[in-house]
Amino acid sequence: MRLPAVSGEWIDRSRSVEFRFEGRTYKGYEGDTVTTALWGADVRVLGRSFKYHRPRGVLSLANHDTNAIHQWGDMPNLRADVTPLVAGMDLTAVNTFGSLENDKGRILGKLSRFLPVGFYYKAFHNKRLFPMWERMFRVMTGLGRVDVSAPRKRTPKAYDFCDVLVIGGGAAGLSAALAAAAQGADVVVVDENARIGGAAGYQLGNDATRRRTHAELLACVAAEPRIRVVTATYAAGYYKDHWIPLVSADRMVKMRAGSVVVASGAFEQPAVFHNNDLPGVMLASAAQRLIYRYGVKPMQRAVVLAANADGYRAALDLLANDVAVAAVVDLRPTVGSAEPLARLLAQAGVEVLTGSCIVEGVADAAGLCAGARIASLGADGKPVGAEREIACDGILMSTGWAPAANLLYQAGTRMRFDTAVEQFVPDVLPDGVFACGRVNGVFGLERKLADGARAGSHAAAAAGFGSATGDALPPEAECPSHPWPIVDHPAGKNFVDFDEDLQYKDFCNAVQEGFDNIELLKRFSTNGMGPSQGKHSNMNGLRILARLTGKAPQQVGTTTARPFFHPVPMSILAGRGFSPERRTPLHSRHEALSARWMPAGVWQRPEFYQRAGESRLDCIRGEAAAVRGGVGIIDVGTLGKLEVIGPQAAEFLERVYTASYANLKVGMTRYAVMCDEAGVVIDDGVVARLAEDHFYFTTTTSGAATIYRELSRLNTMWRLDCGIVNHTGAFAAVNLAGPKSRLVLAKLTGLDLSAAAFPYLAVREAEVAGIPARLMRVGFVGEWGYEIHVPANSGGALWDALMAAGSAHGIRPFGVEAQRLLRLEKGHIIIGQDTDGLTTPLEVGLDWALKMNKPFFVGQRSLAAVGRLPRRQKLVGIRFPADHVGPVPLECNLVIAGGEIAGRVTSIAFSLAVGCHIGLAFVKPELAETGTRLDIRLTGGSLVQATVAAAPFYDPENLKQKEAA
Amino acid sequence: MSAHLALSPVADLVAATLLPPEQQAAAAATLGIADRSDLARHGCKGPGAAEWLVARGLPIPPAPNSWLPLDDGGRIARLGFTEFLIEGPVALIAPLAAAPRGPGVYPVLRQDAAFVLSGSRLDELLRQSCSVNFRALDLTARPVVLTSMVGVGVTAIPELCAGRPTLRIWCDGTYGHYLWETLLDIAGDLGGGAVVARSID
Repeated sequence: MRLPAVSGEWIDRSRSVEFRFEGRTYKGYEGDTVTTALWGADVRVLGRSFKYHRPRGVLSLANHDTNAIHQWGDMPNLRADVTPLVAGMDLTAVNTFGSLENDKGRILGKLSRFLPVGFYYKAFHNKRLFPMWERMFRVMTGLGRVDVSAPRKRTPKAYDFCDVLVIGGGAAGLSAALAAAAQGADVVVVDENARIGGAAGYQLGNDATRRRTHAELLACVAAEPRIRVVTATYAAGYYKDHWIPLVSADRMVKMRAGSVVVASGAFEQPAVFHNNDLPGVMLASAAQRLIYRYGVKPMQRAVVLAANADGYRAALDLLANDVAVAAVVDLRPTVGSAEPLARLLAQAGVEVLTGSCIVEGVADAAGLCAGARIASLGADGKPVGAEREIACDGILMSTGWAPAANLLYQAGTRMRFDTAVEQFVPDVLPDGVFACGRVNGVFGLERKLADGARAGSHAAAAAGFGSATGDALPPEAECPSHPWPIVDHPAGKNFVDFDEDLQYKDFCNAVQEGFDNIELLKRFSTNGMGPSQGKHSNMNGLRILARLTGKAPQQVGTTTARPFFHPVPMSILAGRGFSPERRTPLHSRHEALSARWMPAGVWQRPEFYQRAGESRLDCIRGEAAAVRGGVGIIDVGTLGKLEVIGPQAAEFLERVYTASYANLKVGMTRYAVMCDEAGVVIDDGVVARLAEDHFYFTTTTSGAATIYRELSRLNTMWRLDCGIVNHTGAFAAVNLAGPKSRLVLAKLTGLDLSAAAFPYLAVREAEVAGIPARLMRVGFVGEWGYEIHVPANSGGALWDALMAAGSAHGIRPFGVEAQRLLRLEKGHIIIGQDTDGLTTPLEVGLDWALKMNKPFFVGQRSLAAVGRLPRRQKLVGIRFPADHVGPVPLECNLVIAGGEIAGRVTSIAFSLAVGCHIGLAFVKPELAETGTRLDIRLTGGSLVQATVAAAPFYDPENLKQKEAA
Repeated sequence: MSAHLALSPVADLVAATLLPPEQQAAAAATLGIADRSDLARHGCKGPGAAEWLVARGLPIPPAPNSWLPLDDGGRIARLGFTEFLIEGPVALIAPLAAAPRGPGVYPVLRQDAAFVLSGSRLDELLRQSCSVNFRALDLTARPVVLTSMVGVGVTAIPELCAGRPTLRIWCDGTYGHYLWETLLDIAGDLGGGAVVARSID
């Protein structure tokens, strides 16, 4: 039912909004949330609980009503309590079998005795039954449906900056913002609600003064140009250097602040009594929000359970808005500072019962709240004496608060439990982080304003604006939270965690089973592991554990509060989705030749070139055959291309590579292996000496960036007289390979290409097609060939010239797959494919590349030590019979010996040149002898046999690199 | 290596994405992005680089990560302490690139993709693409920013051109397509688009 319009309400009653819920049509107003529109339409069951499928209504109306989660089209898990109402919405409650009204999952409530605490642990303990439980849980659990065909939302992230970020737009936060702005700081106030003002706008106690204070505060903020207010946005986490992700419905803003004021307030906490989850039982602050923000009457007749003055104010707010208050039931023996409020209530005929409790909520036939059964509280905190039932359709709970301190924890704040306020408060705050208001243990409205002004001033000063003024306030005179708002009940269903349907007895049983540490208890019981992440259960869970173990709350401690504060939609996390991609200067040429692309690190490389009517395999084999029989060309521009220049350039390379380079002649190249400190192979390439003090060298495609960074680090450390230049992207490079490669190149250069003038492993600088180039005679693919490097913007011209010159010789571009096959025939390894994060050169046949007699190279000492130990494994060639039929292993399939893992395949392919499948595999040293037969397990589990064979498989004498070839 | 001064690594892409001429002025006022990769440039680094450049008549920005305009057009940017990027007329750059390297001078072949962005919504694009607070920079100090933009390492110079906020960026040319496409996508969302260089530079 709607109330008459109230001043400052958030809904626009002139704009009606029609929507559907569970197949029925309703009307709300613009400004409503889904919950407030439904509650205003007298819908009391908004969802079902997770485990027992109990009907649930409003609890917090503060983004934590995780039993009222709805699906709208392709949008799962909308929190109805805060999701703005949109015309045309067609909503259904999640986690129901059938419908919300006739949910077949209700049966689980009757089976609760068979679902003890730690049920997951116990179910999965039995290995035999594991698959059955897994299948069942996958059906039973999970909220909402993901529509994988839903179009991607555009949710660009953005960075933002401010001097002072104030998290929380309540009285303390706004006061902090005003104080910081007054000192000249650029301030941003972020609040998750649709409007700022916080509790000051609804915890009124029908008090005109409070209403005026609230209005004046908003007016001051609106008039301050240095304050930016960001609403409907929450601070989702805290990252170092005051970096805060601010999440709204559309995007994430990464806010970098000079300093941060956390004025995030406190979560009102539920009391624990039998049936405390009936629709109609809600937090007092939820009822006040319904009234003052949305003009919704929370109930007709209420019982208020209180343990602080806030409860009395809530009762007065109810009375002022035409809700009958049957009684105020106060857990405390006296009303304390609420005495004036209690008098007003008494004058209105409201019964105030101190030293009393609610033993249980009474349900009607529909499962809705119909009454409260109350009793006196004994000295031991348990109900005593006769019970009495009071008819009501709603119960308000106002027994205490828990600080919204998640961000403070994430920032590294040391917290302490303060018994004066029965909550954790900041003890030591990190530099640049400040706290005020309820999260700081300050509750009175005037005190919150003063605390906010202090925090704002200090935060501005920390950001470099003005001087810090104001000191910490003295403690609260009266505790706002009851230390034990919990009543046991033989029938249970006194819920501590509403997300997971955890009852008081579940905690007792968990502790009895030995899970008496807060972190263990959390995981065993799943307390705080639901969608609200314990915002309404962690504090009571902590109190229960403390009492059961005889500890103080400080000793029990809290669980870790990790980002994010609320669940963040995947689309928001994804943002625009930046995926950097590099293209070589020859990309367009490959496109024109119908390249099929494959990722290689951040690069896109041609896997092969598609030919009409040919399969992928035929294309790859055809490309390889062209290289073996004629001439092929491949883009190798993705290789890392570095230079080291200076008098100590050779000394630098001596230190970073395993071989010798001081004795490398100008005009020659040498294979280069790089290890880390542990002697593990991390990269390889070719070093070319262009001048006495000038080397040009390549790295692997994937290693270019990291190797350059590492070499720069080493050079900085060693302080040698040389410099490193990263030219990876500045040069285009191709490998022209095949017996006819020399004929092709000869058409384009005046360079003497004879073996005598330009021998194998030589490097030359000359013009090719009029383009200044560096040429290296290398043999990675096992044929006579030239790696030609030119400035990137000449790459296209070079490619075109080579293709034109080679056309008469049947030149064919080849891709990565053909190159992999060709190098495998030659027995050349690929770092990262034929090695892993533990492989040393000694295991892959690179002993020859180690100059252990050098004074030093990175990894040398480790290799000396490793060299004295027996090998763990050895990389060997393998081949299959030429008449092999059936499947062959895939890379990473295991070698099996004696029923145990004895190695793995690292590379495998069919070689036309060799006439069978060939490969490389790691095997135990005792299996490495040529001719040894290996059993290799296929993915399906069957075994195939291969034979250890000598590599290279092709041209083992390297005759292809000699003039006679 | 001699200088290669002609081709842009994104020339084809830019040509395919340019707005129609009649839309360019409006886009440039809002957020225009133009390709300047074809400008001549040269780089050098090393402990002798500053002295080597002075000997060739070039001014040296006194502070690291700052830049100076050149008399005949173009600019010299100091990247950190001992690295320099010079961009300007071919008549200036070609001799630099062809000159023999001196002691402690390590030539850097610059084959960048270089873009200019300008317009009233530039700051919004920057806030979507880069974690540096460009608003806080003092442009009179001619700052140079070495940072990451949409995941790509860039050198950036913010300035006011004809009163309009403008940003010049340089990146490894092999990232050029990705950077252009990504920034253009953002610019398009903000009401801008690809324009010819003379519209904004």
